[in-house]
Amino acid sequence: MTMPTNHNEESKYAASARAFRANVTRDLNNEELRENFRGAMDYLMDKRKGAFSDINELETLRQQCKLIKQRCLLKLPYLLAQLEKNLEANGIKVHWAETTNDANEIIAQLIARKKGKSVVKGKSMVSEETALNDYLEAKNVECLESDMGEYIVQLAKEHPSHIIMPAIHQNKKQVADLFSENIEGFTHTTDVDALIGEGRRVLREKFCHADVGVSGVNFAVAETGTLCLVENEGNGRMCTTVPNLHIAITGIEKVIEFLDDVPPLLSLLTRSATGQIISTYVNMISSPRKEGEKDGPEEVHLVLLDNGRSQAFADEELRQTLQCIRCGACMNHCPVYTRIGGHAYGTVYPGPIGKMVSPHMLGLEATTNLPSASTLCGACGEVCPVKIPIPKLLIRLRAENVKAKGSAPKVMKGEGSGRKKVEASVWKIWSFMHKHPFIYNSSMWFATRFRALLPSKIGVWTSVRSAPKIARNTLHERVKTRKHNKSNYTNQI
Amino acid sequence: MTVNIQQQSKIAKSTILAKLTKQVSGADYTKLPIEQGYQYPEISQQAHIDKFVSLLEANHAQVIKLDETNIANVVSKELENRGISTLLYGKNARYCDQIIKIEPGIKAQAFDFSLTKKQQYKDKLFNDTPASITSSHSAIAATGSIVLWPTINEPRTLSLVPPVHFVIVDATSLHSDFASLISAQQWQNNLPTNVVLVSGPSKTADIQQTLAYGAHGPKELIVLLLNS
Ligand code: SF4
Repeated sequence: MTMPTNHNEESKYAASARAFRANVTRDLNNEELRENFRGAMDYLMDKRKGAFSDINELETLRQQCKLIKQRCLLKLPYLLAQLEKNLEANGIKVHWAETTNDANEIIAQLIARKKGKSVVKGKSMVSEETALNDYLEAKNVECLESDMGEYIVQLAKEHPSHIIMPAIHQNKKQVADLFSENIEGFTHTTDVDALIGEGRRVLREKFCHADVGVSGVNFAVAETGTLCLVENEGNGRMCTTVPNLHIAITGIEKVIEFLDDVPPLLSLLTRSATGQIISTYVNMISSPRKEGEKDGPEEVHLVLLDNGRSQAFADEELRQTLQCIRCGACMNHCPVYTRIGGHAYGTVYPGPIGKMVSPHMLGLEATTNLPSASTLCGACGEVCPVKIPIPKLLIRLRAENVKAKGSAPKVMKGEGSGRKKVEASVWKIWSFMHKHPFIYNSSMWFATRFRALLPSKIGVWTSVRSAPKIARNTLHERVKTRKHNKSNYTNQI
Repeated sequence: MTVNIQQQSKIAKSTILAKLTKQVSGADYTKLPIEQGYQYPEISQQAHIDKFVSLLEANHAQVIKLDETNIANVVSKELENRGISTLLYGKNARYCDQIIKIEPGIKAQAFDFSLTKKQQYKDKLFNDTPASITSSHSAIAATGSIVLWPTINEPRTLSLVPPVHFVIVDATSLHSDFASLISAQQWQNNLPTNVVLVSGPSKTADIQQTLAYGAHGPKELIVLLLNS
């Protein structure tokens, strides 16, 4: 008897996101890890800077791309319907899924129908989001990541620590050790060409024999029914060309209206991500193998996943989250990400974009620590190619996180989870004090006069900082004395 | 019990679309802000060609300027230098009358088989095909990209699987940038099964940001530039 799948079962990511604080402590104490991230982020920031030498061009493109994505979102339901119509007319089957579990089940059944036993995967963060590998492996389907970074991460039984460079947390020595442990006949070397050569050897063998290719999508063009994939390695082309069945999976926000929307978005995507003016390959797929063609998959499917995106869509401010084109620039420039690394967040998408989008996917209860894991320095918002006001959205999520439960309107799953009784009362008192001058002034008087009573150790705060010192007089008092002195001075003249 | 995915997908579609439509049903699409694009300075055709070549070279592609009648000569010399003795090409494809002149020094094999039916052909392609040659559809100066437009004669894997890929580019098919290429040729109305923009040999920087060529696709991209 097969057990019914429990749809409410918490995802592995929710559990690890809950452990955020512990994760941070763990990773901050890992010096090698911090070194790896620092090096990688410096490299990526430098590359991006080099690709945008003309600030006018950059700003014009950012404004243009923001408007493109906002237009496409404003038309989202119609574009999705148009995309489906045009894809189906081209021979590509479209499937819709509300949850990650539903998406996985669709893919599993499509594979089973073809009696598929082995899958090669191009890089797809959405399939990470659904934890597709685990799902398929439980059904005895071998699922191999073929992007070099993803392959390394899979060998290490980890998940990507960066959405563009999945294995950024590992250095070449660590990769060499990993290959030694896992690949038979591999002679240990830290020569990167040799390491890549070894990965190539193993994976080409797999491309040649795999039954199924799974990929993500960077842009789905509604007007033509075309799936665009951006990559450097060629594994995306392999996965979408060599196996007989190709299944693409993407979030509903990836649809764009016109083919003409592709060039500006593409130009900002690759430059923001890795500083390349274009990736080595831009792969545009519009149909399965046609009559007479000698290669290409006979069947192509697209799975459109919601998983919390429609919740973000429902609020005009939070909808901007969906403008994201997943370039990773926000994490490359984030001082918090650089220090704690990608795994500490516990979620599929780390860094600023992760903090914005994960609460919609996993609920604010599991991700309650994320919106405040930011210094609000603003770097992410400044580099975002589609001008998402990331810091502003994080502040908004903080408010959703602590709002009183049950207060209307309901915006998101798990809202109010971060609300603490003591904190809420403190703010109530604070607000009361500020409305009543007498109480305010007298409490300030007490606070300054009895400042010596403030303890020098205040929990975690003083574990890495010195305790704050309250001034001898309040600011109001000082200003008053100053005014007094000044008027005396003017009178004398 | 197995889930009926068709049924489930249908329900998901209507739920998702209903949720989204509710939010934007009142939207006025006639009042969308103007999406101003960036005006790139006009440059001469020669400057386009120079840019195209220098970008490709910066991306580790080898660019050889030549005449059409020289294709066989140049290719056979390049193959000899690499110790390669066979070349896969597209049957009846453009320039194939030039390519077959490469015989007898090099064995030119036509891609006249179909993948899938038997593993045998995939094996051949992956294991016994050291080099291939294809034509191209057009090219883009601003990004140093070559547009491949695979056909029945020149299948998708021809430019992907063999480790050395020769590609013939006609300089007169060079466009300034991707956007103007799409609009000049009205791609909206005639996209084939697959189009690929290629801007260099396959590469990766996934291990400690160290660039390595030949990740999964061709290790070498040799561009034969005609009419430059
Ligand atoms: S939020 Fe902006 S910067 Fe971050 S990944 Fe998305 S598009 Fe890139």
